[in-house]
Amino acid sequence: MPIYIEGVALEISFADARRNLSELIFDTVRASVDDSGREMDEIDSVVLAAHDLVDGRSLSSMVTAPAAGAYLRDEIRFSDDGAAAFAAAMTRLEAGDNRRSIVAAWGRSSEHDPDAFSRALFDPYMTRPLGLDEFVLSAMRAQLLLSSDGGVREAHERAVTRRRDAAGRNPRALKAGGFTSAPHFPLDTGDMPLWADITVSMVLSTEPTAIRVTGMGQSSEPYLFGDRPLRSIRSLSQAADRALAEAGTPGTAMDVAEVDGLTLIDEALGLEAVGLAPAGEGMLGLADDPRANPSGGGASGYSRPAMGLLRIAEAILQLRGQAGPVQLDGVRTALASGSSTVAGQTQTVIVLEAA
Amino acid sequence: MKSRMAVVGVGQTSYKRAHTELSSADMIWEAAEKALDDAGMDISAVDAIVMGVAPDALAGENGVEKTAIFGAGKPYVRVNTGGVTGSSAAFAGASYVGSGRAKVSLVISLERMGQATTSQQVFNTIFDPVYEKDFPLTTITMAALRASMLMRVYGYSERDWAEIASRNYRNALKNPLAHIHKDLSPEDILASPLLAWPIHRFEACPMSEGACALVIAGESSVGDRVPAWLQGMASTSDAYAMGDRFHRPEGTLVDLLSLRRSAERAYADAGITDARKDIDVVELYSPFSSAEAMAYPALGFCAPEHGPRFVQEQFTDLSLPSFNPSGGPQAANPVSATAMVRIAEAALQVRGMAGERQVPGVRRAVATGQGGATQFSTVCVLGIERPD
Repeated sequence: MPIYIEGVALEISFADARRNLSELIFDTVRASVDDSGREMDEIDSVVLAAHDLVDGRSLSSMVTAPAAGAYLRDEIRFSDDGAAAFAAAMTRLEAGDNRRSIVAAWGRSSEHDPDAFSRALFDPYMTRPLGLDEFVLSAMRAQLLLSSDGGVREAHERAVTRRRDAAGRNPRALKAGGFTSAPHFPLDTGDMPLWADITVSMVLSTEPTAIRVTGMGQSSEPYLFGDRPLRSIRSLSQAADRALAEAGTPGTAMDVAEVDGLTLIDEALGLEAVGLAPAGEGMLGLADDPRANPSGGGASGYSRPAMGLLRIAEAILQLRGQAGPVQLDGVRTALASGSSTVAGQTQTVIVLEAA
Repeated sequence: MKSRMAVVGVGQTSYKRAHTELSSADMIWEAAEKALDDAGMDISAVDAIVMGVAPDALAGENGVEKTAIFGAGKPYVRVNTGGVTGSSAAFAGASYVGSGRAKVSLVISLERMGQATTSQQVFNTIFDPVYEKDFPLTTITMAALRASMLMRVYGYSERDWAEIASRNYRNALKNPLAHIHKDLSPEDILASPLLAWPIHRFEACPMSEGACALVIAGESSVGDRVPAWLQGMASTSDAYAMGDRFHRPEGTLVDLLSLRRSAERAYADAGITDARKDIDVVELYSPFSSAEAMAYPALGFCAPEHGPRFVQEQFTDLSLPSFNPSGGPQAANPVSATAMVRIAEAALQVRGMAGERQVPGVRRAVATGQGGATQFSTVCVLGIERPD
C-alpha cells in the first residue's frame, strides 16, 4: 500500500525563551497539519520520536504527546531517530491500523548537554571510564579517511566550505545561537554538528498526494565499535539497499540525497553507503555534487533524535520545489536517511518521489 | 486489524528486585532466546526487532537496549511509552508483520530498575519540575488520588482494595517467575504500612527487574506452532493534567476513558460483545489494587457504580473471567516490560502453556497496559480462534 506525504513543517531555533518545549512542538505539528489541509478529526494516529534525556524529564511524552495532537488518539513514542518513527508510522498505515498519521520528532539542544547525553550511552564500568563518546568513532573514521590518497584532504576543505555555505543559504537553518562540541583530533570545528533546537512534523496518509514514499529500509550494527567496519557504514548500506530495491531505483539515480551523519565525516561515508558516491569518493561528493545534502546537513542545525525526520522534511521540500534558495532544479526523486544512537547503530532510509 | 497473526513464542526471565548476576544484554538475550526456542525458530527467521525500554535514568545507562542488539543487520527500533512500553512494543512488532514488511517479528522489553538506588525519585521526574514540585505528586500519590475518588464516588472500601491484592498474591504463588511469593490475607494487607491513604504497602506493586519477549508470526509463518491469535489490539492516549480530566463529559479521572476507548476498538475487532461471557482470562496492568478496580467498568465487566459488588462477585461467581492468574503487577512489576508480560501471560493461557497457573478451558484472554499519568492505555485480545 503506497504511503503519501500530505503535510510537512520544521523549525530550527535556539533557546527561544518565549516558548517551552510543548509550545515548540505544538507550533510545528499545527503547521504540518495546516500544510496538509486536513482537520484533526481526520487524523487517527500520532507517532513520535523523542528521548527522555534530551527532553529533560522521564517519560516526557506524558506532556509532549498531547502537544503533538495525541489526545484520545492512537499514539506511540519511539526513543529512536525520527526516520525510524517515520518508518514505523508507515508500517501502521500499511497494516491498516491507521488511515492518517502525524509523525513528529524533536530535540532541544539548548536545554540539555549533548556531550553528556552521548557519554551516558556507554557502559558505566567497561567503556565510559575511557572517556568514550560518539565523536570518538567519527574521529577514528576521520583519521582513516583523511590519511587516504586521492585528494581527500582537498575535497574535505571544499566540503566544509560548501556545507557552511549551503547552511548559510538555507532559510530554515539556524542563523543565530547554537554551539558546537569540542572536536576530537583530527576532527575540526567545520566537521562538527551545530547543536540547535529542532522540531519536525509531517502528516502521512494512504490517500494519494503529490509526494509518494517509494522505498523504506532499516538495518542495525553491533554495539561495540570494534565489531563495526570503520571505513564504511554497513547498516546504512543495508538499509539503503533495501529501500532502493523497493523503489526500483539505484542510489546513483537520485536527484537529491539528504544523508544524516553526526559529523561531516559520517555524512561523507553515508553518501557512499546510500550509493550517491562510489566507495572512497564520499568526500568528493560532499564537496562537488550539488545533489548531496543541499540543506547544509549538520551545519544547518543538529539535535537528536530529530535528524532523520529533518532530513526527510528537507527532501520533501526539494520534491515540492519549496526549498527556497537551496532548491535544486527538476527534483523528481529523493533519498533521506536517519541514524540513531550509539554512533549510528541503527539506520533508516526513505526514498520519495514527486508524482 | 487487517492481517492475521499470532504470538507463537513467549520468553521471560524471572522477576526480582535486581538481577545482580546478569547484564542488561544477558537479560535481553535470555528472554529472546526463550521466546525463539518456544517458537522453534532461530534469529534468522526474524525480520524485525522491536525493543521496549522506558526511562533511561532507571538503568543508569542511556539507550541500554543498544548494548544487546540481537541479530545485527535487521530493523531494530526502540519504543518508550512508560508503563505501556511493553504492549506498545508488541503492537509495533505486530505492525511490521501486518504491513507485510516482516513475516516474523521479535519484540522484547527490559526493565533494569534494580540498578537505580532511587527509582522512586526517578519516577518522580515524570512530573513537571516547576509547577508540580510544590505538590507532592508521585506515582503513589497519583494512584491514591484515584483510589480515594473511587471510594467517594462509587463506594469502594479499603477492604475491597485488600481483597483484590490478597487474591493477586495467592495467584502469584503458582507463578514461579513472580517476584513476590507471599500468602497475604486481606488482614495482612490492611495491617501493612500506609504509603499514601488509602494505599497500603501490600496493595502496591514491587520494584522488579526482568525481561520479556514475544515472537509474533504472520499467518503464513505460524505453521504447526501453537498460536495465540491476535484478535484485537488498540491503544489510546489521554490528556496529561489530571485536573483536565475531573469534570469532562466524556469521562472523569477514574472512568479511564483511554482504556475504555481502547477496549471498544479491540473488542470490535475481536468480536467481543459481552465481556463477562466472551473473555476467560484478564491480565491487567494494575500496579495498585485500586487500579484494577478502576479498569473493571472500562473493560465492560460492570457498571461503574456496581464495581464494589463486582469485586465480591468474583469470589462467588465462577462463570466470571479469571483476573490476573499470574498474580499481576502486584507480584512483579518490571515497569518497561509489565505490559508485555500481561500479553505474554495471556498468550500462555490461550496456548494452554501456563503451567500451574493455567486456567482450564481458556478460549480468549485480554491483556491491558496502563502508563503515564494513567493516560496511556492499551488492550490486546488473544484467542484460540483465528480471526476471520
